[in-house]
Amino acid sequence: MSGEEDATVREPLDLIRLSLDERIYVKLRSDRELRGKLHAFDQHLNMILGDVEEVITTVEIDDETYEEIVRTTKRTIQFLFVRGDGVILVSPPLRTA
Amino acid sequence: MLFFSYFKDLVGQEVTVELKNDLAIRGTLHSVDQYLNIKLENTRVVDQDKYPHMLSVRNCFIRGSVVRYVQLPPDGVDVDLLHDAARREARGG
Amino acid sequence: MSGTGEKVTGTTKTPTDFLKSIRGKPVVVKLNSGVDYRGILTCLDGYMNIAMEQTEEYVNGQLKNKYGDAFIRGNNVLYISTVKRTLADGA
Repeated sequence: MSGEEDATVREPLDLIRLSLDERIYVKLRSDRELRGKLHAFDQHLNMILGDVEEVITTVEIDDETYEEIVRTTKRTIQFLFVRGDGVILVSPPLRTA
Repeated sequence: MLFFSYFKDLVGQEVTVELKNDLAIRGTLHSVDQYLNIKLENTRVVDQDKYPHMLSVRNCFIRGSVVRYVQLPPDGVDVDLLHDAARREARGG
Repeated sequence: MSGTGEKVTGTTKTPTDFLKSIRGKPVVVKLNSGVDYRGILTCLDGYMNIAMEQTEEYVNGQLKNKYGDAFIRGNNVLYISTVKRTLADGA
């Protein structure tokens, strides 16, 4: 347990640990997505992100044509605490792609 | 414990708490507990037109489990301190 | 898909044995929301948190996203299934 920055992924949370101070993508419940720099996290996936961009996707049905209208709303937040229970997926920056 | 400690240090500062029902409340952080339940003072609802029934609410207790986000004051975030705390937390489990 | 002859690992006894045996294998992870993730399972933990590589996200059977690495929070997981590699997964 002495290695300062052990780069191996032995358990899933290692993937998050290795993303500290990097920009990550977070997929949340209720069709929300975040992109921001990971400053802190815990085992619940509570997180503090910096320079966050939030994208909310909504689908409306057109009254007349019944077509689906997909809308995205964007906003930016400087520092954000995110409660872990809303997290679905976390993806580190594309280092393997 | 990381975020409990973090929020304890943030007591007295202005934050905006966004709930899972989309209600956003701004106020002064009065206290926090281990479940990240939050007490706010001098509160005002961000979108008052949409939630007029909240106009007279001046302080409130928020159950931690209904919180989606907390918008933090920029000067209340010591990035290096958080990184160290997060690494320690990851090691301790 | 018959009950016998899991060739890869021999006899699988418990769910835990199964989970241990599928590391490094191509899997499909289905979430409660119905969304599927296909990729190579890196590892998982007791909460069913999952780390995957070369992950593809399928919504209603359609490819919606790709992630180099992905962490999936265990509470969202409905099941984890092993798959034979298809052409779509690449070699």
